[in-house]
Amino acid sequence: MFTTGELILQQLVNGLIMGSFYALVALGFTMVYGIIKLINFAHGDIYMVGAFISFVTFGVFSYFSDGVLGVILAVIASMIFCAALGFAIQRVAYKPLFDAPRLSLLITAVGVSLIVHNAVMVQTGGQFMFFQSSIDNTAGFPITENITITHVQIFMFIITAALMAGLTWFIGRTMWGKAMRAISQDKDACRLMGINVNKVIGLTFMIGSALAAIAGGMAVVYYGQVHFFMGYMIGMKAFTAAVIGGIGSIPGAMLGGLLLGVLEAAGTQITGSAWSDVFAFGILIIMLLFRPNGIMGKTTIERM
Amino acid sequence: MALMEVKGLTMRFGGIVAVDGLDFEVEEGTITALIGPNGAGKTSAFNCLTGFYKPTSGSITYRGESMIDLKPHQITYKKILRTFQNVRLFKEMSVLENVMSGAHSISNQFVYGALTRSKSARKEEREILENAERCLDFIGILDKKDKVAKNLSYGDQRRTEWARALAAKPDLLLLDEPAAGLNAEEKGKLIELIRRFRKELGITVFLIEHDMSLVMEISEKITVLNFGKKIAEGTPAEVQSNPLVIDAYLGTGDDDDEEGSPWVK
Amino acid sequence: MEKLNSADAVDVKKLGFFGDLVEKCYTLMDNKKIKWTVLAVILGLMILFPFTTTNYWISVVQNAMFFALLAMGLNVIVGYTGLCHFGYAAKFAIGAYTTAVLVRQFGWDFWLTLPVAVVTSILAAIIIGGPTLRLRSDYLAIVTLGFGEIVRITARNLQITGAASGLSGIRRPSFFGIHLTSVTHWYYVFLVLVVIYIIVSYRIKNSRFGRALEYIREDEDAAQAMGINTTKFKLFAFIVGSVMGGIAGSFFTVRMGAISPQSFQFLMSANILLAVVLGGMGKIPGVILGAAFISMFPEFFRNVPFVGDARMLFFGLLLVIVMIRRPQGLWPDRRR
Repeated sequence: MFTTGELILQQLVNGLIMGSFYALVALGFTMVYGIIKLINFAHGDIYMVGAFISFVTFGVFSYFSDGVLGVILAVIASMIFCAALGFAIQRVAYKPLFDAPRLSLLITAVGVSLIVHNAVMVQTGGQFMFFQSSIDNTAGFPITENITITHVQIFMFIITAALMAGLTWFIGRTMWGKAMRAISQDKDACRLMGINVNKVIGLTFMIGSALAAIAGGMAVVYYGQVHFFMGYMIGMKAFTAAVIGGIGSIPGAMLGGLLLGVLEAAGTQITGSAWSDVFAFGILIIMLLFRPNGIMGKTTIERM
Repeated sequence: MALMEVKGLTMRFGGIVAVDGLDFEVEEGTITALIGPNGAGKTSAFNCLTGFYKPTSGSITYRGESMIDLKPHQITYKKILRTFQNVRLFKEMSVLENVMSGAHSISNQFVYGALTRSKSARKEEREILENAERCLDFIGILDKKDKVAKNLSYGDQRRTEWARALAAKPDLLLLDEPAAGLNAEEKGKLIELIRRFRKELGITVFLIEHDMSLVMEISEKITVLNFGKKIAEGTPAEVQSNPLVIDAYLGTGDDDDEEGSPWVK
Repeated sequence: MEKLNSADAVDVKKLGFFGDLVEKCYTLMDNKKIKWTVLAVILGLMILFPFTTTNYWISVVQNAMFFALLAMGLNVIVGYTGLCHFGYAAKFAIGAYTTAVLVRQFGWDFWLTLPVAVVTSILAAIIIGGPTLRLRSDYLAIVTLGFGEIVRITARNLQITGAASGLSGIRRPSFFGIHLTSVTHWYYVFLVLVVIYIIVSYRIKNSRFGRALEYIREDEDAAQAMGINTTKFKLFAFIVGSVMGGIAGSFFTVRMGAISPQSFQFLMSANILLAVVLGGMGKIPGVILGAAFISMFPEFFRNVPFVGDARMLFFGLLLVIVMIRRPQGLWPDRRR
């Protein structure tokens, strides 16, 4: 039997792993919202597509390496594909509506989400697909008698941390990152300053999508299965994470993701897994009611 | 007692002080103006008066009652109506429907009346309609009542907005740069119209304006604002000869006025 | 704004013959006599329809009418008021489960459950709308979506609602001694409901209340400046839409005789929203035809290979194309 201490530790590890997924997907939400004020409903589906492309390309790469190297190559392939997909969606579906009412843009995003996940559903016949590789998901460092922290978990956590550090550097230090922050403040002023706004918005979608693809690729290895509907729930929860952190804030999305993962793990332990989704949405609603600007978000005075 | 009194009105955005201790009064039955160069804080002051901003400090009283904590719709219920600087119509709706919105604050049917179409609901509906048509007639665009607002010319969009404000039977009309975007002929008509508001309908008019020729011609009292502070007050003649005012307008290099010099009529 | 105007100008020219036709139809409809005759003929055809066809098609049309009820309810929230609502399935789930639980678990008569369903719908609207309607409109979309999921998962987890398998064997009601059992009975019940909902929709649209909702949709600041308490009116739009959905849900339950959480997935909410958007937000005939199209589409394409499975893909495409090319929906506008 597990002791209380072990349970807490176990749920903390689970929570942090879930939280890493949420955080990576939440980054895409928060970047897009920051720059064009759109809740990109299709973002969860990009994560799902990322998982699928990783799965499919791994099938090819596994002839050559069915271990870590093959997975890394597959994830890189899926990053490239998803970045292109994110860019294409932005260009074709969203760009014509940048000046239209927000409602139109939001409904378009729902439409894109329907297209993407149904396209995958038709391709796969709606079936679960199971992933097999030579990576041992159970190998790891035993912490106590019952609990092992696996190599995969540690590896995933390191990758997430590295990506976040990289993104923080990119946004904070590079010209492109500065342009992104500038556009989120005032698009027209940026145009006057000679910033190619469309290019930067495109890049934002590409980076967000690539991050979601990495999360998708990691999910394939970690859960060992893919399904066309896997993006829906995680999309909702990643959005929750972005709101908790303060939508538009990049460190907020990271923190919100990890926090939501841990809270959800704790909530699930207490109320049972059937209620875990209610728990996450409950947090979202409470958050929106009492602190709609999130932990890291700034309060702004709306000027007319 | 003045109809509206503003004392020590201050509006801060973060570190910027947009309006700084502004005092002025609007007497009943007058046409009063608040003027100032670009960025002087006119619009911020206006938004405080209409409840769209909550001022950082200061007081605004109307008929002796404080208006500080009132929301925009509550201010409208006090028969204080506003227009917008860059016309804000209900674009996809007809001109008539736009003007009918003005009667919202002087009617009171709700869900029950809508569903049952009771006798009183139908009577009120007829009154709203007739009132709207009267206002359109007063402004002179009754023939355009079935047009969709977004298809109107700019001048007619402005006129629709005035008709909409009139439909609420206001005591005090707050006009936010009413002459913006109008040509010389339309400005002439506007001047005549504002005079008719007071003469025929007994409405007190308060306007903020950039266009000097209009302000000098119609207002009885002018308050001049610069960098958020009041720098002068008085009749058009007094204000025009005030060196501080001349300095504010000419000294800041604010020469984007199409007239070249602000005093040209 | 200039851009918008010029785009419209082009549109009008492009319409050409079709535009003229639409204009002629509208002019014809201005004549009260012709208008009422046309409506009477349509109603007559709807009444006669069950005598001409099989039970299968009667139930298909009845289902389309049920969909039209939901679309008209959502239309008050999305079409009139312009609020984003992505969890409308929850609204009709609340009515449906209220009736199902009272009839099945407590043995109530169906007609008595209706007022209770109205009350629960109002309560749900106040609980979810009261605090959230002050938020930014896109946050509202997420909250309604989240609330939809909470309702569905709660129904799936509780014993009283029959958990994952739902409730079945819900007794069908009688109406003046007629036990409503056959498909045709329910066809007429839903026809009556559709007529009532149409009248309600038009009465709201042409009232001070409904106009206030449309003013809020068009320009919230200007609406406030006209004295409209936007929070209060949004809340009442929410309540009216919620009650319309709840009542439709109650009738749905007893017509099916069974209910399960599967009926209330996000896909359902998306479908209803699609019907409203496709038909043209706020335009009642458009919304009804949109609902009919959405619900009958699978019937026509069920046996066509590929299309049958991929119908949601086409729905998605349609949604995106309509939003980009004709955000005001497919129902033609009058040229004024």
